[in-house]
Amino acid sequence: MGKTKTIDPAVVQKKLSILEPQLAQLQKQAEAETDPKKKLKLGRQVDRTRDKIRQAKTGERFSRQTKRDLVAYSFIAPNFIGFAIFTLGPVIFAFVLAFLKWDGNNAMEFAGLSNFAQMVGNKRFLAAFRNTVIYCVATVPFTLAAALALAVLLNQKIKGRNFFRTVSFFPYVASLVAVAAVWNMLFSPAKSGPVNMILYNLGMAAKSLPKWSADKNWVMFTVVLFSVWKNMGYYMVIYLAGLQGINGELYEACDLDGANTWQRFWYITLPQLRPTTFFVTIILTINCFKVYDIVYMLAGGNTGVLNESAIVLVYHIYEEAFRNWNLGYASAVAMVLFLMVLAITLVQFRGEKKYA
Amino acid sequence: MKIKNTKTRTLRVILYVVLIALALVMLVPFVWMLSASFKLDKDVFIFPIEWIPKNPRWQNYVDIWSKIPLMTFVLNTAKLTLIVTFLQLLTSSFAAYAFAKLDFKGKDLLFLAYIATIAVPWQVYMVPQFMMMRSMGLADTHLAIIFLQAFSAFGVFMMKQFYEGIPTELCEAARIDGMTEYQIWYRIMLPLSKPSLSTLTIFTFVNTWNDFLGPLIYLTTESKKTLQLGLRMFISQFGSEYGLIMAASVLSLIPVLIVFLSLQKYFVEGVAASGVKG
Amino acid sequence: MKKKCLVSIATAAAMAVSLTACGGGGGSETTAAAGGEEPAGTTAAESVEAAEGQTVLKWSIWDKDLTAYYQPLVEEFEKQNPDLKIEMVDLGSSDYQTVLGTQLTGSGSDFDIVTIKDVPGYTTLVNKGVLEPLDEYIAADSVDLDAYKGLTDQITVDGKLYELPFRSDFWVVYYNKDVFDAAQVAYPTNDMTFEDYDALARQLTVDTPGQEVYGAHYHTWRSAVQLFGILDGKNTILDGTYDFLKPYYELVLAEQEDGVCQDYATLKTSNLHYSGAFSQGNVAMMNMGTWFISTMIEKIKSGEYTDCANWGIVKYPHADGVEPGSTLATITALSIPANAPHKDAAWKFVKFVCGEEGAEILANTGNIPALMTDDIAGMISAMDGFPTDEGSTEALQTANLYLEMPVSNKSSEIEIVLNEAHDNIMTGNSTIDEGIADMNEKVGAVLAQ
Repeated sequence: MGKTKTIDPAVVQKKLSILEPQLAQLQKQAEAETDPKKKLKLGRQVDRTRDKIRQAKTGERFSRQTKRDLVAYSFIAPNFIGFAIFTLGPVIFAFVLAFLKWDGNNAMEFAGLSNFAQMVGNKRFLAAFRNTVIYCVATVPFTLAAALALAVLLNQKIKGRNFFRTVSFFPYVASLVAVAAVWNMLFSPAKSGPVNMILYNLGMAAKSLPKWSADKNWVMFTVVLFSVWKNMGYYMVIYLAGLQGINGELYEACDLDGANTWQRFWYITLPQLRPTTFFVTIILTINCFKVYDIVYMLAGGNTGVLNESAIVLVYHIYEEAFRNWNLGYASAVAMVLFLMVLAITLVQFRGEKKYA
Repeated sequence: MKIKNTKTRTLRVILYVVLIALALVMLVPFVWMLSASFKLDKDVFIFPIEWIPKNPRWQNYVDIWSKIPLMTFVLNTAKLTLIVTFLQLLTSSFAAYAFAKLDFKGKDLLFLAYIATIAVPWQVYMVPQFMMMRSMGLADTHLAIIFLQAFSAFGVFMMKQFYEGIPTELCEAARIDGMTEYQIWYRIMLPLSKPSLSTLTIFTFVNTWNDFLGPLIYLTTESKKTLQLGLRMFISQFGSEYGLIMAASVLSLIPVLIVFLSLQKYFVEGVAASGVKG
Repeated sequence: MKKKCLVSIATAAAMAVSLTACGGGGGSETTAAAGGEEPAGTTAAESVEAAEGQTVLKWSIWDKDLTAYYQPLVEEFEKQNPDLKIEMVDLGSSDYQTVLGTQLTGSGSDFDIVTIKDVPGYTTLVNKGVLEPLDEYIAADSVDLDAYKGLTDQITVDGKLYELPFRSDFWVVYYNKDVFDAAQVAYPTNDMTFEDYDALARQLTVDTPGQEVYGAHYHTWRSAVQLFGILDGKNTILDGTYDFLKPYYELVLAEQEDGVCQDYATLKTSNLHYSGAFSQGNVAMMNMGTWFISTMIEKIKSGEYTDCANWGIVKYPHADGVEPGSTLATITALSIPANAPHKDAAWKFVKFVCGEEGAEILANTGNIPALMTDDIAGMISAMDGFPTDEGSTEALQTANLYLEMPVSNKSSEIEIVLNEAHDNIMTGNSTIDEGIADMNEKVGAVLAQ
């Protein structure tokens, strides 16, 4: 508890003579106010002044509010100190870097907006931008649909439910290095590759067999396929969780009306899952924009260099930062990425509010 | 009545067929991996695939321990993962409590700082971060990886989402009973958040266990390297020894699967609480 | 109640602290920066332990286990300089230049000696200003640069030399004698035109599924195919026009089409290492650098490679009317970072490795040192495990050496363009003409900057 000091009645009296009229005035205002928002605000001010009066009377050093603040800060401190030093600091520095020219070693120079101007003419940036957007547009809906379908299936009362759930989560927990290696072997571009062999036996002409991640026109498709496969289990779990929260009475009412399975899904499950879908979409979109390792592992090959057919924004950032040491430019690209994610998240928030 | 029964039964059958097909799609790469790990390199690519090798080559699982210092890598990774997960759980749930249940000055601003960093790709601030760590004498230490991973914004965000789902009345009642905020966190929030703690455990565990780029930049001494670095080193040095690569990959999956299986019953509930609140 | 709660938090915090303290165990040896409070026992995990009064030099390398000469070099050097210890730091081969660049950034690096893998990596680091010019050391110790046969001139940037080469590898053709014997075809010779070479490769090819034999093998690097084009000495890879590459791409793509060599796309996605390809025993000829000689000798001795134990090398094929022995060269060099803590000791090591003693050690392990004399060439071909036929010995004599990538401050940008075009042509994503047009356009843009 706060320390008490010896109370000097004269000082207390002086403080009270200021605070008490203030309180009376605020209370009057609050009563007269009709706008509920402003009323609430005034109410808070009243509380605060009361607290100050109480503090003056008892002579405690900290007001209750300050004390509450301190307790809250003590909760946040262990994480926040680490976070601020090791993440927030560098992040802020990186944003400043977007307006500088720096190779990581020599002195920094102010560059204004030239880093941003440089993007417009950079073919690799434009390709990366295009591929990232394509990747997101393709991956988000497919992953959502696949995850939802899986969740609805695995929410039924069936035998071996836990087994199926665990299996669906397998690809997500597995190490990327390992599964990408397996995936590339299965989707080997050779005519004798396992997947191509199946396609061939299904009657596809040997000449038109895709070369998957080595094929300019198929590489993004392969990447999307892989990432849907790898991540749908994760989002399925979130959907499963959402499904547990739906009130069973809704379905009973629905059954009484004689609705079929499809109608149940369409009129109850889907609307009830909207908050979950919102959450999943945001996390998924952010993760999609940040994609890099999947593409690198699948299409990087021996040199680890991505071509224009497969390059994505974060990889572009990586190569500019570490191969060419244009740290300022890399930060500027990151800023573009950040603003895109921000814009999409805001649109989603809007949409959510509209329909909620 | 009878008609309905047959209909449900057919639906059931279809459902199982679909599920088994899906499970196969999910499992095929792993089964292939497992089967390849028992083969000679030259037999790995033979088609049609021989799912159960006639002469399983257990030697692969013996050889990988001597080809690279796998034991050191496993121990390093285990150590890092355990410490990071522990710190992450402790500090995140602590901070999340304040964000969810306490009212204080600067709350929104602080929270915004957390959220904003989630959308920034790590590659952007990797270099400044590396230089800072090194100036603190942390380059090539495990401590650097720990600091890198243990204070993530994601953990705080997720735990906050969950805590907001716990009725505030519980805290109010506890306050009236004279509990301090620390006691409320310890005696009410923590026990109630077992599911979401499990969720965070798995996420952190998987991420730290599988992290590649962080250790690549920070850890240069071989005796400090992690399993994923080892795996990658292995692939680049012994690119054609598929049997061995697959054996190493299979081994790297085991700990993650154990953690997942032992926590999965909480897991679904955990995401439920934090996910729905979105 | 409250006390108990606080105690548990304190315990948890203390646990965290003690755990992380362990995590920091084993920092760097000579610098006190990492922490004097570390318990003494934790450094035991280190591979190199400094005895009293010794200085530890940190040396960055890659593929420690695949390279035979690191260990003997270090051992010999430490024997001669008991006060110095070398700690090898393996940064991995695939991301070597990235990791090295990050390590050298800023002022806190504690590397004393760094190995420079290639020319683009060298120019990047020189441009960043993180390497120490060696000219003063060279002058002070009056090192004779003529012994490097002009190599050092090719890597001088603005009148300053920032690295000293210790290896100078060149490309040869490796062949598997067993494959030739089985097909009853005569071994390749040191004087092959590209037509001879192509015909020979086709002659050896067997395309029966399951028992394929490949007449030739090209690794996925651009050098393995693209640089056939510069061997007639008429063009360089920095020219900005690349139409001269066309016949060579045609040759290799036709071979690929006919199953003479393995499909590039498959090799790329499976990350197949060239050593893996050659050691499977179904490749007749493979063009590769001389760095592979030592790996071959080593792995055959250890019994790992059984299907290619009977091997030989011949000179690179040549264009019509060009002297045989023209080939590609690539140098591996040592540099001292501008911030190295022990520069003078580091120079001692650089001088040792790049000098005659180092050259002998390299030659003894089957590697081609940059400091090449007749004695040393003799040592290589005389070593146990080197092919005994005369042709292989003669293959070590070169006529013209062209650097895989000449020094230029644009080299790393040009490298990216050339790599991408190579990849597109080889995977069939673009035709040869499109690929070449792409190179002309993009390299032109880079050069115009």
